[in-house]
Amino acid sequence: MSQLTELKEAIRKALPDLDLVLGWREGYDALHAPPYHIRRQEDLEHLVFGPMCVNNLASQLMHLRGKKVGIIVKGCDARSVVELLQEKIVNRESLVIFAMPCKGVLDVKKIRRALDIDHAREVHFHNGTIEITSGDKTSSVELKDVLADKCLRCHYPNATEYDHFIGEPVEPRVSAEEAAADPAMEELAGMDLTERFAFWKTHMNRCLRCYACRNSCPLCFCRDVCLADSRDPHWQSQETSVREKWMFQMIHAMHLAGRCTQCGECERACPVGIPILLLKKHLNAVVKDLFNYEAGIDPTATPPLFTFKVEEENIKEIEL
Amino acid sequence: MSDVGGKELRIIGFLCNWCSYGGADAAGVGRFSQPTDLRIIRMPCTGRVDPLFVLKALVSGADGVLVSGCHPRDCHYSEGNYYARRRLEVLKRLLPMLGIHEDRFHYTWVSASEGARWQQVVTRFTERIHELGPMDSLDPELAVCAIRELGGENGQADQPAPASGE
Amino acid sequence: MRIGVFVCHCGSNIAARVNCAEVAKAALNFPDVVFATDEVYMCSEPGQESIRKAIVEHRLDGVVVASCSPRMHEVTFRRTVERAGLNRYMVEMANIREHVSWIGHDKDSNTRKAIDLVRIAAAKLRRDKPLTFKTFEVVKKVLVVGGGVAGIQAALDCADAGLDVVLVERKSTIGGRMAQLDKTFPTVDCSTCVLGPKMVDAAQHTRISLMAYSEIEDVSGYVGNFTARIKRKASYVDFSKCTGCGLCTEKCPSKKTFDDFNEGVGTTTAINIPFPQAIPKKAVINPATCLKLTKGKCGACAKVCPTGAINFDMREEIVEERVGAVIAATGYDLFDHSKYEEYGGGKLPDVITSIQYERMLSASGPTGGHVKRPSDGKEPKTVVFVSCVGSRDPAKGRPYCSNFCCMYIAKQSILTKDHIPDSQSYVFYIDIRAPQKGYEEFTRRAQEEYGTRYIRGRVSKIYPEGGKLIVRGADTLLGTQVEVQADLVVLAVGVEPTPGAGKLAEKLRISTDQNGFFMESHPKLRPVETNTAGVFLAGACQGPKDIPASVAQGSAAAGKAISLLARERLEADPQVSHVNPKRCVGCMKCVRVCPFKAIKETTGRDGLPKAEVIEAMCQGCGICSVVCPQGAVQLEHFKDDQILAEVEALCRTWVAKSCE
Repeated sequence: MSQLTELKEAIRKALPDLDLVLGWREGYDALHAPPYHIRRQEDLEHLVFGPMCVNNLASQLMHLRGKKVGIIVKGCDARSVVELLQEKIVNRESLVIFAMPCKGVLDVKKIRRALDIDHAREVHFHNGTIEITSGDKTSSVELKDVLADKCLRCHYPNATEYDHFIGEPVEPRVSAEEAAADPAMEELAGMDLTERFAFWKTHMNRCLRCYACRNSCPLCFCRDVCLADSRDPHWQSQETSVREKWMFQMIHAMHLAGRCTQCGECERACPVGIPILLLKKHLNAVVKDLFNYEAGIDPTATPPLFTFKVEEENIKEIEL
Repeated sequence: MSDVGGKELRIIGFLCNWCSYGGADAAGVGRFSQPTDLRIIRMPCTGRVDPLFVLKALVSGADGVLVSGCHPRDCHYSEGNYYARRRLEVLKRLLPMLGIHEDRFHYTWVSASEGARWQQVVTRFTERIHELGPMDSLDPELAVCAIRELGGENGQADQPAPASGE
Repeated sequence: MRIGVFVCHCGSNIAARVNCAEVAKAALNFPDVVFATDEVYMCSEPGQESIRKAIVEHRLDGVVVASCSPRMHEVTFRRTVERAGLNRYMVEMANIREHVSWIGHDKDSNTRKAIDLVRIAAAKLRRDKPLTFKTFEVVKKVLVVGGGVAGIQAALDCADAGLDVVLVERKSTIGGRMAQLDKTFPTVDCSTCVLGPKMVDAAQHTRISLMAYSEIEDVSGYVGNFTARIKRKASYVDFSKCTGCGLCTEKCPSKKTFDDFNEGVGTTTAINIPFPQAIPKKAVINPATCLKLTKGKCGACAKVCPTGAINFDMREEIVEERVGAVIAATGYDLFDHSKYEEYGGGKLPDVITSIQYERMLSASGPTGGHVKRPSDGKEPKTVVFVSCVGSRDPAKGRPYCSNFCCMYIAKQSILTKDHIPDSQSYVFYIDIRAPQKGYEEFTRRAQEEYGTRYIRGRVSKIYPEGGKLIVRGADTLLGTQVEVQADLVVLAVGVEPTPGAGKLAEKLRISTDQNGFFMESHPKLRPVETNTAGVFLAGACQGPKDIPASVAQGSAAAGKAISLLARERLEADPQVSHVNPKRCVGCMKCVRVCPFKAIKETTGRDGLPKAEVIEAMCQGCGICSVVCPQGAVQLEHFKDDQILAEVEALCRTWVAKSCE
């Protein structure tokens, strides 16, 4: 039985007790699989799973509170779900988690850069390559060259929290140490302070304040009442200065400190390609260093900024 | 002018009312002279200090920000400074990644009786900020804008926001 | 909004270093400021009157006072504006004395700084809202923790004033340290004779409920409405049946039990009544040495008890009490002198502590009032007292003076002469501290009438030789080494906080000082209050003090509790957090971090979870506000907008200036 059949079977059994199941369906072309709500048995026909299922469906859970929901998760998505469980946004009893082992998702931008394709009519995966048929032309590229960056360093390909695990767990692509090594981070670390300041100044200047980063973030569950568009409290004006844009990204990053599961949706959603995930990766590294904590692993844990220790092992006593 | 090297720089302090604010008072009562760059904002507790206030200050024109509260175990609210310590340490380690020298921000603990210590903290922090010099601006054109706003300082430029209509 | 700014000269305190007129003039340019002036003394009667007049004349609805620290005069100016019909929270202060004129030398930069501080205050004031009090009922009952003389005094005063009192004592009897003393200085009164009647009064007072052999488990709530959970320890004796006849103690075969009350001078039985005047006079079984409880055999006490009070199956129980105020009177403990290797490290039997000596001197003590050397039971002829053992010694972590040792040494040397007329006492001292009424005369009497020889200097070594103890020390007045051959050495061991003090401080949410004693709210002006409203301090738990000082502080703490609870209702500080339910997403991070359990989960109109602040329990720290990502929880008077306005007021001018 294929994984997809097995998944459909599991959902088919669970569906009578659920209001809906969050999954992906075939999109307008074979490279895209938009989020999909499965409510009836017949909806299952359209369900797909594969490297084109990029969206983190956990982003929708906030708006489904009060409902009995099923959700299909990849390893990284599951971490977001765990975080939502910790933060009481999701009630474990009203959630059924279908875990899919994941070998990585596509970065469509990379494909477009690698191959000259238009509408992808068909997509096939075999032996580490992806074969795309566009019009009457079929071209292929090595999968590792078109996977999302986060997948190349993924250390959590299998969900840690689930009700149904479909198929066999896959081996992490890299070790924890390798996962930590990140060329983009290293590049930023290699700059001096002035360069880094200028780097962000340039990038933040390009921000449109469209809030796509926030809206795609599974943990920005207060997006309907976000500080960025609130008049009371009034943190942000509508001014288009770089500092207002910069400040918005600071709010986003600081609010995620110790919570961000690094699913990368913010950066993927950014229409102008600001590398905002760098901020979050850095904060995650800080949190790991200070509190030996990784978000989205243990549903019973408390995120480190909502608790404390009287003696902090890794914070030096202040002198001045 | 500041006692440190002529030109005054722009430093904001967020101080816990129960300890460091009193410590700064004690320093005053003891006539412990200090550089005059610092402007103190009184807070109920360091637990109220959102790291975003610090970032807001730094991006809006402050050259340095100092947060000071009660020594660990001495919080008037028993736990505020413990939360603050975690948040502010994370903030401190974020700054270099933004291209801001981590020394532009400092948090420390000064009790209401430590006037002399407060003098030291202010003096050293001010010196440090003077070594770093003025902070870069994200918006070079901003200074001009601000002056235009100031033109009507008695004015209407910065009325508080009307109550939320949510 | 119409704001008035009042700049105070504070005589020359501010005016000498700040150009006050210029500050007032600059303030007139700030948004919403319609009036500004400077005066010599803003806090004076005429100064306050000028504020009041200006409020009326200029129809002000907010006031900035630029003067001293708000910690000094915020309350004063809140009253001033209230008299003029404004809400008392519509005043902000700019601290231009402690934070400006007293610390900066340059008048120009001081003036600029003062202008900035007024700017911050005015910016915040524009976002201030009138806050109104809610009042809440108080529980007219006081919890007194500790049944020593300070606690007893506090309990009696509260009860006499008509308040109900719960007096909790850790040991099986009240009386505390004073009950252990034979005589008191400087009158050489019998300690138990003066304390005894007070103990009886406390036990018999209809308003005092005495909980002996009990400890505080935890305390929750807030001023006027605390809930204390009190643990009644298992005594294995039903106090309601025990008559204190003492038959059980005669029959108990386990006679080698450490005698806590007598500080280990002699031993006692596993079932024990500490002393004849104990109150309540009830027997308690020590489970560590009771044969029945350790080995399952015996039960002799149960057999002889005429009222059947013994209950080997007794378990500790938790009792809950609601009280309006708490008085901590947990007393002190004594320094463990085994830390002084040079004094024998606690291993020389004839080197004893002053409290052990006190028990020996007591007629109801283990030796019947006869002074005997522990090693051989002989009467000592030469007694050496060593002062400051664990006091005034930073090397031992005890930098402070224990306050009353000098006096009891004088007393004990006098009593020694009374007990053994042909004895000679020596006292090694650093300084003689005898500042209270009749104290100096008393120490002179010890020297002049009783022949006690005082040697100014520290003892460097005590060691045994030929049945004697050689006490070697310096005589710093003569500049020589001295050696005294002693039969008995009494160490005046220093005072330290009780072992449970730190834990109790956490439970009561009060602070301790660097030495572990409970910290008062202000060393001069609020010596019995703590920074936690409704919690007061009495006796040596706040710092070493003698009996009259402890009694006085007991009464003072009671006075504070009485004046607090004399009111039917208390005003709740309106500077509390509020949740805007429209913005709350129900993540309950605020509930998680609140140290006061002042935020609870409720259900909103949409059926989804919402946080809600229990106003009376909120203490106003604002921790919740920072964890709320969407700013739904806001602390009144310290709202995000108010703090942002302060930051922006400063930054706006700064950015403008850099462009000039």
